[in-house]
Amino acid sequence: MSSQLSSQKVRKPGERIFCLLLIVVSIFLFWQAYQIAGFSSLSSSGAFPLAASATMVLASCVVFVNTLKLPAAEGIQFFRHCLPPVVSIIMAIILLYAVVIDSLGFILSSFVFLFVCIQLLYRRSPLFTLAISIVSLIVVYIIFRLVFQVVLPEGIVPEREIIAQITSWWSN
Amino acid sequence: MKKTIALLAALSLSSTVALADYPSKDVQGIIQWGAGGSTDTVMRSIAPHVEDALGTDLILTNRTGGVGAIATKYVNAKKADGYTLLMGAENPQMYKVLGLAKIDYSDMIAINVLARGTPVLVANNDAPFNNMQEFLDYTKANPGKVKLGSTGKGGLASIVLAMLNSQVDLNYISIPYNGDGPALTALQGGAIDVMPVVLGASLESIKAGRMKVIGLIDKEANDLLPNVPPATDTLPGLARYLPWGPFFGVFVKKGTPEDAVIKLQSAFHSAATSPDFVSLMEKRGFTILNIAGEKADTFLNSYRSTSSWLVDEAGFSKYSPEKFGIPKPQ
Amino acid sequence: MDALHFFATSWLSPELLGLTALGTFLGIYVGAIPGLSVTMAVSILISFTFSWDVNNALCLMVGVYMGGVYGGSRTAILLNIPGAPSAIATAMDGYPLAKKGLAGEAIGLSTVMSVIGGFVGIIVLALAAPTVSEFAITFQPRDYMMLGVLGIMLVGSLSGNSLAKGIFAGALGLLIGTVGLDPMSAEERFTFGVVELWDGINPVAVMIGMFGVSEALHQLHHMDKAVVKQKISRIIPKLSDVKKYLPLSLQTSFIGVIIGALPGTGGDIAALMAYDHAKRTTKNPKVPFGEGAKEGLIAPESANNAAVGGAYIPMLTLGIPGDAVTAVFIGALFIHGLNPGPMLLVEQPQMFWFTVGNLTLANIFVLIFGLTGIRLFSKIVECPKGILIPLIFLLSIVGAYAINNAVIDIWWMFAFGVFGYFMRLYGFPVGPVILGVILSSLTDENWRRAILTESGSLGNFFAHIFTSPLSSVLFLSILLIFFSKTSLWNKGLKPLLFRTKQKP
Repeated sequence: MSSQLSSQKVRKPGERIFCLLLIVVSIFLFWQAYQIAGFSSLSSSGAFPLAASATMVLASCVVFVNTLKLPAAEGIQFFRHCLPPVVSIIMAIILLYAVVIDSLGFILSSFVFLFVCIQLLYRRSPLFTLAISIVSLIVVYIIFRLVFQVVLPEGIVPEREIIAQITSWWSN
Repeated sequence: MKKTIALLAALSLSSTVALADYPSKDVQGIIQWGAGGSTDTVMRSIAPHVEDALGTDLILTNRTGGVGAIATKYVNAKKADGYTLLMGAENPQMYKVLGLAKIDYSDMIAINVLARGTPVLVANNDAPFNNMQEFLDYTKANPGKVKLGSTGKGGLASIVLAMLNSQVDLNYISIPYNGDGPALTALQGGAIDVMPVVLGASLESIKAGRMKVIGLIDKEANDLLPNVPPATDTLPGLARYLPWGPFFGVFVKKGTPEDAVIKLQSAFHSAATSPDFVSLMEKRGFTILNIAGEKADTFLNSYRSTSSWLVDEAGFSKYSPEKFGIPKPQ
Repeated sequence: MDALHFFATSWLSPELLGLTALGTFLGIYVGAIPGLSVTMAVSILISFTFSWDVNNALCLMVGVYMGGVYGGSRTAILLNIPGAPSAIATAMDGYPLAKKGLAGEAIGLSTVMSVIGGFVGIIVLALAAPTVSEFAITFQPRDYMMLGVLGIMLVGSLSGNSLAKGIFAGALGLLIGTVGLDPMSAEERFTFGVVELWDGINPVAVMIGMFGVSEALHQLHHMDKAVVKQKISRIIPKLSDVKKYLPLSLQTSFIGVIIGALPGTGGDIAALMAYDHAKRTTKNPKVPFGEGAKEGLIAPESANNAAVGGAYIPMLTLGIPGDAVTAVFIGALFIHGLNPGPMLLVEQPQMFWFTVGNLTLANIFVLIFGLTGIRLFSKIVECPKGILIPLIFLLSIVGAYAINNAVIDIWWMFAFGVFGYFMRLYGFPVGPVILGVILSSLTDENWRRAILTESGSLGNFFAHIFTSPLSSVLFLSILLIFFSKTSLWNKGLKPLLFRTKQKP
């Protein structure tokens, strides 16, 4: 899908602003790179970042000029074809998930995330969604937490206590 | 159904049980350095013995970043319940003067300082000097010629060089590497001439004759290097800093219940005496310390004093050690 | 005779055979899941196998290593999320194949080529280890720097339609790679005073965001479109195909062994260089690169598996790790009471052939496990998008967290996912960003070391390039590739120099 988008010969809505933003960001980064060590020496810690950010400034200017030359695409609206509501909603949900994962813990936040997303995108009965969410969560938990011992954020669920109880209970 | 009720009942009890009977769940060990590094190797080799002594799992996690500051901060942000251990190397002792963090090991409880390494100076086989005196003479006679490897400010190499510079005025090119391994590789390839490094990292290559030792930064000779005299023979003034060397230790947050600290200390103490671990450390050229409590604090403070003041005199500290009440070494 | 005996140790013992098989199987899954790295899995195994016999432990770990390097291609092809940085190049042409319903064929082909690459690596290890390792340590900082520059020039291959957009993306990647405490001077670069940024931005977080998350976000546009049915009739590649691509696979395997054997570079750089080699040498690909060219799949897959054998070369002969995983192996050998170093093969001569035998066995298991179960894997892509996409997000988030057990990596992954979404939308290639991140520190640090060595003199720097044959070759290849890629060569110099060859 990206290939059909990149072979464009027209300008999409928002493209000019995006390219302009890139120039602004590049200039800011160039300034930051200059702050590291100035133009002091070829072997300074700032030399390479300066070169990279200077390249960014030049390249983004070329891209911007090229974009200006393109004719605007017809019949394409930013909020329908470029950033449809479903994309923004999912982005917001992921953002929210990333915010709460530390405090709520992995299990709770991931469960809610999966349930909401699958319900939103797949639209079947909530029971079905519930089942899918629980099964996938269990699989992910077993792989990451139990097999590969990645200690996922615990949050408000006392995971380690539960595991300790289950193991001691198992061995009895 | 009965089982569920039993589980729930057990769960509701577990919080009180946890306090009464440490450890009631897995203990998490946070390693300051990445997989494959020497801290990682040491901690992973002692962990199974500790698990036996504690009777619980010790889950090891590498949390790298900020010269170990990320792991140190993480452990200090957790509850002081003895379930999160910091497994680290010497670096936090320099955090304050280098301005990397506001905490060091003096703000934590030492469970065990396991072992200490001995620094040596190794050189490329083709280098035109074979011992400390020749090295110093050659460097003085050829200012700006000798290429010395280092591992960044506050690293072992920078402190050893600060020690040497406190005795003699040396003019050399310093080329930084991301650790002992890459620097020693570069040394064998001739990209650098001399590298101050911990003995364990270079021992095998020295034995194989791929590089030569030109100095042992210690007061006494080392059994593993029978023909190398200690550096104090050439530079007696170094004695005030020695013995000095990087170390490995296990720490918990201040405020951890007495009971947990005692159990952890005894577990690590017995683990560090296991023959496997002892022979592993000796073969790598580390001196086993296995100390806790007051002894550990004395050792840690002396390391901090020596290194902080050396770094301060060498001129790359961000803050003076005085600011933190770090006493000058005698 | 001894050699054969040691070589066969793990083949003849049912226990060792079983452990190698188990390790390879696990490794494929570890490799396939982004965020779970082979390095991590092997270090967990150190604790797990602590009380085992050293041979048993090594069999399991070697299996995980071999399987893991191969496994990275799975998710790269199926979901466009490379399981590890060494599979980035695989995603460029592998994923387009899956979108055409050819996932089964792509996985089959990548498996066979990975195994061929693996064997080339093992053969070089077995026959030429001492020579290669002596060669590898002669690389000076300036040589590493030039390797980095060679790598950066791949931006040209990865740029797609707009070179300017590609250069922007590449430079951005290089800049991202410099974030953090500078390892050489401990100066802060782009950290804005945040301690969490000291260690920089993890390339894997950037990779998961730019490839996986941004692609999944774009998929949301087409929720109503039916999923592509995968053709799974053809899994084992045609013999004619294998024959046709064998020369390319062998060439890129050699690139992989050498890059793998260099202590400063690993499979990720090897795979990217191989991809570039394929793109430069393939005159008329049936399908353009980036849209599902088989050459673009074969080259990186051969190279990254060949790099495994390569990485073992300095490790076994000199005790110098060839990559992050062999560094952990060195730790494992220590813990098991061996002394990895230049004396290892003198003290433990059986170790060499045992390892070679083991790697060979693991490579055979990669073939077996790789070719079975493809049907099941291909089904993953046929799973309804409404379920698959949330799961991709979940996996990306857990994967990003697992890199270093830090929530901040989730933030980076998300930020680069959203940024990557807009980059793709406006026709910017995302490949060069990752390329830049991977090559940044290699180029930056070695450039500075090289200049420091020459006491800051650029003149001496160039003078020394021409006193060393290795440096001269690298320098000339940079010039050659640069001019052959730019129009300066095609329009200006080429007709001028080769005028006689042109038709009147």
